[in-house]
Amino acid sequence: MKCKVCKRETESKFCELHDKAYRNIIKEYDVWKNASDISWKEYLSEIANNSYTGLWAKEVTEYLMKSGEK
Amino acid sequence: MDLERVKKGRLLMEKYTLIVTEKPNAAQRIAKALDSQGKPEKVEEDGVPYFLAHRDQNLVIVPALGHLYTVVHERGRRNHYPVFNFKWAPRYSTERRAKETRTWIEVISKLASNAENFIAACDYDLEGSLIGYCILKYACDNKEGVAKRMKFSTLTKNELEKAYEDPLPSLNFALIEAGRTRHEIDWLYGVNLSRALTLAAKRWSGRYATLSTGRVQGPTLKFLVRREKEVQSFVPTPYWSLRSEVEVKGSVYEAEYETKTFEKEADANAVVEACKGKTGEIETIEIKKLQQKPPIPFDLGKLQTEAYSLFRYTPKRTSSIAQRLYLEALISYPRTSSQKLPPTIDYKAILEKLKKKAVYKKLASDLLKKAKLKPVEGKKEDPAHPAIYPTGNMPEKQLSEPEKRVWDLVVRRFMAVLGEPAIKQSMKASIVVNGHPFYLRGRRVLKKGWMRFYKPYVRDEEVVLPVIKEGEKVPMKRVIREDKFTKPLSRYNPSSLLQKMEEEGIGTKATRADIIETLYSRGYVAEERIVATDLGFDIADVLSRYCPMVTSVKFTRELEGKMEKIQTNSEDRVNVLIEAVKQLKPVLEQIKEKEQTIGQMLSQAIKRARMQERIIGDCPDCKTGKLMILYSRKTRKRFIGCTNYFEGICTTSFPLPQKGTAKPAQKNCKGCEWPLVFVRMRGKRPWMLCFNPKCPLKEERRKRNEMQSL
Repeated sequence: MKCKVCKRETESKFCELHDKAYRNIIKEYDVWKNASDISWKEYLSEIANNSYTGLWAKEVTEYLMKSGEK
Repeated sequence: MDLERVKKGRLLMEKYTLIVTEKPNAAQRIAKALDSQGKPEKVEEDGVPYFLAHRDQNLVIVPALGHLYTVVHERGRRNHYPVFNFKWAPRYSTERRAKETRTWIEVISKLASNAENFIAACDYDLEGSLIGYCILKYACDNKEGVAKRMKFSTLTKNELEKAYEDPLPSLNFALIEAGRTRHEIDWLYGVNLSRALTLAAKRWSGRYATLSTGRVQGPTLKFLVRREKEVQSFVPTPYWSLRSEVEVKGSVYEAEYETKTFEKEADANAVVEACKGKTGEIETIEIKKLQQKPPIPFDLGKLQTEAYSLFRYTPKRTSSIAQRLYLEALISYPRTSSQKLPPTIDYKAILEKLKKKAVYKKLASDLLKKAKLKPVEGKKEDPAHPAIYPTGNMPEKQLSEPEKRVWDLVVRRFMAVLGEPAIKQSMKASIVVNGHPFYLRGRRVLKKGWMRFYKPYVRDEEVVLPVIKEGEKVPMKRVIREDKFTKPLSRYNPSSLLQKMEEEGIGTKATRADIIETLYSRGYVAEERIVATDLGFDIADVLSRYCPMVTSVKFTRELEGKMEKIQTNSEDRVNVLIEAVKQLKPVLEQIKEKEQTIGQMLSQAIKRARMQERIIGDCPDCKTGKLMILYSRKTRKRFIGCTNYFEGICTTSFPLPQKGTAKPAQKNCKGCEWPLVFVRMRGKRPWMLCFNPKCPLKEERRKRNEMQSL
């Protein structure tokens, strides 16, 4: 199986590096929701355009936005 | 035969004492200090300088060139591992770049054959002790047992004379054993692991690429990779903070809200609404006086950190500047871990000498007026040397700008540690607005104390508040909500990485800066804010997957601890070596077992890194591809092409010069913003090439040339 983002060989949906970013994206959504009642789509768009978001997190965000997966 | 040769010949016919030093500059200083006339004779033989001096006896002072001997593989093939048989041999026998050490050793051997007594006068630390030992043992035919040792921390006349008159009766063998063991263990780990990685990659891909790792390099790379993973997978979260602008006595000041951060936007908004346009009242005023002690003296690590933060000098650069200042007898030996300045260095005498320089005159004189000079000291000690301090000598030659800066920093720090504490006043006024507390903060320096001496390097901003009293009404001009996001951890820079290595207890003060440089030169890391490259990631990944011990900080620290114990005779060198080999063997066996998988991973990483090195920038035509340096299969000529060519999307290409080397410059053209290529050709000055045929700068240049030709 290949990582959905970087096409590296992996045993799950994302490679180890992108999986770490994916888990962070899921985890931090709760903080965003609590802070300003934001939808999943709005959240993805916010972090995709935020300059502090790491590169891998941005790549995963873009993938999630395109695929519509959560 | 000229007079000089006759004199030299005569002196060398008589018996003399041979003094071995670490570097030519040190030899010159020592010769000048020990010669009764202060005018030693410089002789040069096959390019090797040495000095003839006379004191109570004839002296020949000969320098080394740092290490003249090194650890080598005793016998066997080069491209093979594991290798556990080693010996000490001249550097020229194994390093292509160390050819000159051959004549150096020959000249020393010749001088040793007629010498009666031997003195080692290399730097008094692990490396210096080992350099002296190897020369006395191998070049001077086993004189290490009879040689005496000069011990000094500065190259000043006084100290050198004392060190000569009262030398240690023998070499410090515990220090030498520790040095030898460190070199041997580093060789065992470095050679075996680097060969294992390089051969794995070569056997898989058939192409050679130098890959390296080592006992300290592995864990250091791991810190960087771990930090990079944090940064790259970071997702920021929002938070809010409040500040207000209040009017006090006609001026506007900034006050911060009691709660530093709000997790909910609505909570922050509620406070803004409640305070907007209201008048506050000063409820309490708290005034505190604080004493700020002088900073502690510099050890090498602290000097490197300060020089990086003030001048942006990398640790390696600071270390070599400090070494030059030491050789000029301007500062004490810089490779020290000590943060203590014992009274024996004679603070008063140093200040008296510093007074001669106009810029330090007033400061040094003020310190000399003190009844007692007592420096503030740090916790760390070094048995061999005190903390770094100025000798008080003035430069004999023009110093370069960086040398001037580092010298000034050392001088001012020395004066600062002898200064009085600074006294600061902080003021905190609580302003309550509609039940919401804001704080107005001020700070100022009441007594400068040590800060006077360290002035250009003190980072302190004063905020002076007007006279206010409790119960006073202050109108709120504005209440400002600031929208913020959490930030990822900062990337290491060379200085903070060095600090991290120091905290973790890996490497030594002499090697840490070099290890950081090696990570750069291998392409494992890049940029000032250190970014681990893809190659760095893959190397760290292979190491932690197949030989986690190599990247283990705990293992490296324990080994360091054992090696340090050898210095104090509380650990046996042979036991440490056996233990290290015992730990290394299974690692190498495992690499060999998984050689194919490791080779594949590394080869792919190298391929990706090489591709990355050739990428110049984004394609200006298709916008989605990358421009890179490519080679035509047909003509073998190089050119710039778009990566989308292979997908059949973009055919953009540009010519490149065929001679010399061309690589991405990582800069953009000022005229057209296109990426530049750095071209280097033999016999020509390197230049930046803008390959955009329509670049406005090219057009301007063309018009200018036309005008000139008219």
